[in-house]
Amino acid sequence: MSEAATPDPRSAASEPPFGVNEMRLTGRHWLVVAAMVLAFVALAPLLWARLERFEPGPEYRVPYTLSADYWLYQRRLAAVPADAIPVVGDSVVWGEYVRADGSLSRFLSREAGLPGRFANCGIDGVFPLAIEGLLSHYGGALRSRKALLQCNMLWMSSPRSDLSSDKEETFNHTSLVPQRFGAVPCYRADAAARLGAAVARSVGFFGWVNHLNSRYFEQTSLPRWTLQEDGDLPAHPNAWRLPGPPLSLYEPASDPQRGPGSRRHRPWSAGGRSPQSFEWVGLDASLQWAAFRRTVALLRERGCDAMVVVGPFNEPMVAPEQRPRFRAMRDGIADWLQRSGVAHVVPETLPSALYADASHPLTEGYAELARRLWQDEEFRTWAVR
Amino acid sequence: MLFHTLPFLLYMAVVAPGFYALRRTPFWLPWLLAASYFFYGWWNPWYLLLVVYSTGLDFLLVLLMDHCPARGEPCTPRRDRTLRWALAAFGGSAAALAVVAVAGPAALRPTLIAFTVLVGLMAVGATLADRRMWLFISLFNNLFLLLFFKYARFVAENLNAALAALGSPVMMPDPASLTPPGWEYLLPVGISFFTFQSMSYTIDFYLGRVERERSLLRFATFVCFFPQLMAGPIERARHMLPQFRQAQPFRPANLTDGLSLFLVGLFKKLALANYLSLYVERVYADPASFPSQDLLLATFAFAWQIFFDFSGYTDMARGVAKIIGFDLALNFRNPYTATGLGDFWQRWHISLSSWFRDYVYIPLGGSRGGKAATYRNLFITFLVSGIWHGANWTFAIWGVMHALGVIATRELERSPFYLHRVPRLVKQAGVFAYVCVAWVFFRAADVPQALLILRRMFAGPMTLSAAPGLMLALIGCVWLYQFLYESRLRPLLTAAPLRVGLAAGMLVYLALCSSGGGAFIYFQF
Repeated sequence: MSEAATPDPRSAASEPPFGVNEMRLTGRHWLVVAAMVLAFVALAPLLWARLERFEPGPEYRVPYTLSADYWLYQRRLAAVPADAIPVVGDSVVWGEYVRADGSLSRFLSREAGLPGRFANCGIDGVFPLAIEGLLSHYGGALRSRKALLQCNMLWMSSPRSDLSSDKEETFNHTSLVPQRFGAVPCYRADAAARLGAAVARSVGFFGWVNHLNSRYFEQTSLPRWTLQEDGDLPAHPNAWRLPGPPLSLYEPASDPQRGPGSRRHRPWSAGGRSPQSFEWVGLDASLQWAAFRRTVALLRERGCDAMVVVGPFNEPMVAPEQRPRFRAMRDGIADWLQRSGVAHVVPETLPSALYADASHPLTEGYAELARRLWQDEEFRTWAVR
Repeated sequence: MLFHTLPFLLYMAVVAPGFYALRRTPFWLPWLLAASYFFYGWWNPWYLLLVVYSTGLDFLLVLLMDHCPARGEPCTPRRDRTLRWALAAFGGSAAALAVVAVAGPAALRPTLIAFTVLVGLMAVGATLADRRMWLFISLFNNLFLLLFFKYARFVAENLNAALAALGSPVMMPDPASLTPPGWEYLLPVGISFFTFQSMSYTIDFYLGRVERERSLLRFATFVCFFPQLMAGPIERARHMLPQFRQAQPFRPANLTDGLSLFLVGLFKKLALANYLSLYVERVYADPASFPSQDLLLATFAFAWQIFFDFSGYTDMARGVAKIIGFDLALNFRNPYTATGLGDFWQRWHISLSSWFRDYVYIPLGGSRGGKAATYRNLFITFLVSGIWHGANWTFAIWGVMHALGVIATRELERSPFYLHRVPRLVKQAGVFAYVCVAWVFFRAADVPQALLILRRMFAGPMTLSAAPGLMLALIGCVWLYQFLYESRLRPLLTAAPLRVGLAAGMLVYLALCSSGGGAFIYFQF
């Protein structure tokens, strides 16, 4: 029976009312709405980037509080001068225990005799799986240029660090890791969260929204921010507060948590800690090592001249019986880099007193590491060519 | 799968085109049914068993009812061939189930006994060949499911408390101990909605208001049509079943209308309800530490939160259905602009109010038996409606408060003085204030907390604290919009530039300020 011949079961009289708010848009209206929204989505971040001043100096690093502001990271990479070398990595590159002027990039620049020659493009709290996502989605500016990439073996020191454990784990930067179910076994987000993360990192607008929330609204959304507690008792909402004092795009002048004057800035052994046992994950099974390899491949695809620094790991902190295993892994990494034709340096372990923990040097440690790297012929040749 | 999440967007991106691609084939209805079952199974695939069971049983009961003499005709037991077969099948099954219940594993005994009773009743029904019996079985089965999954623990706890107070050593078992091994005792999402929808079909058939649906596929799709499965609107068979007889052709207007409804619902849920919930949850989590005006504000905010949450869900449900060419009933008509409590109930959760009117209030006698009987019927209807919302005394008190309110103002609202002399705004403010006070019981965790909140609201300390300005501004805007809609200025709201601007503004606001996910309040009912 044709549709035309069949009476509509619903007569006009029986059709329920459309709604009660007159928000009924025609196709033409929807086109106008779509055009307006798309224009906003496309233009607002661009205009904002022009309005919001951002001039990173030679010792700039992304502030700790804005570690998850990937839109800012994108701007940071884009702002690295053409003649500078971005140093990419986790908190070892960023400088967990040191001030911005005590990080690896700063001392490498000093060795090179050119302030700002090496740019700190580390992010606190990232790990190889997150760095892969970070560079894939926000690292477009890292193209056809030199890049120094740090490989931190700490991420392979246990199934938990490697994120290959089957037990659910909570970790930072979840939106940067692969969102496919099973890709990271300990990551147990539901489908909605995974899809949300995938969309958010694919659409630049959402990165900008995240930037606004991170920068102006204390890592939350504007509505939530308006209902945050004052801290007074009894707790009550405070909606009258103006946005401020805003977090700066720059690090605070003084940070009691970092630098030689801070309580955290002291050798690992000063606290009476002894060598530790690590549950090293083999390179064949390591998710973090696989992600690191993909990151190297990505940089090469983008025409980057990449140099990898393996370590520096605090070998004396590894239990003596495990050191052969540690060395074998380190050699395995170097071997893969060699076979893949990737320029790399494996610096000798620093004196243990120059480390704050298993992988983070203290200020003097970074200075020593930079000196050793600069003494390496291959590294120096790569850096100056 | 929640309407306001990306998985649902993907789901619709498959379901809607698939539906339209199949609409000229016999597969569109199976497609819709499969999509609905997938949607429901996404929460918990085991829940599907319950929906399938409830659907299958009501379909069978109405089929058997159809083989019995109509109301008023003399009963002719065992004359009908189908009933004879039914008697043999049910009689045999009941006996077999009884044997297994006695001899089988103890863990399955409660479930098997329940089924033995049910199948035994069906055998009796086949013997009597009386439509009333089949109706009774349908009501018994649906209400039993509802009682077991929703109220059993509440009943057991209260009975045990009463028995303990009387010094009795007898204790009711926890309902979780009656479920088969390995099963969790959980409230299946939407059970109150799909059982009511299925029940309305059997009652309507019994009363001769609808024809028997001969296609199980169509009936199953009616019971679990995914847009309205979780939280309504509770549809009637006579409205929905005809829509499942033939797939609608693709009409661009359906798409644009559906998207319009969906956008408004999405905004209500994500931008408004979720935002208000932040404030409400904080205050209601520890009411003793908040001063009077914060408790008043939180209650006021909850009134709007639940409206935005539930009407937002309904708008989205209606929008999703409209996109694939189906019309769902209107469930809300600006309830906070009501000028009387009776008026409020014609604007709030309309599909449930009309369900209780048609299947509880009118069968009780409605307003036909004089004032005392009318008030009694109103009281019972509102009490049942309150209890329908959940297994907690707070819901019962909420229902009673509305019953008393409606009874107390019924005559007043009909008086010429109230109708013509009391300013409209005063009437609206009075209704809203009363509804807000009743919401305290709806939202509070228990009765003592509700009483504490009320005591502190009206007699608690007043201290100067900052008001949530953005929250009040948003509510103010919505209220203003609704008042304009209800006034002579309504044509202003139909201006195309305003609608386009509002839609774009909503989308931009959602993109910038959405408060994230969160399930709908009414899913718990």
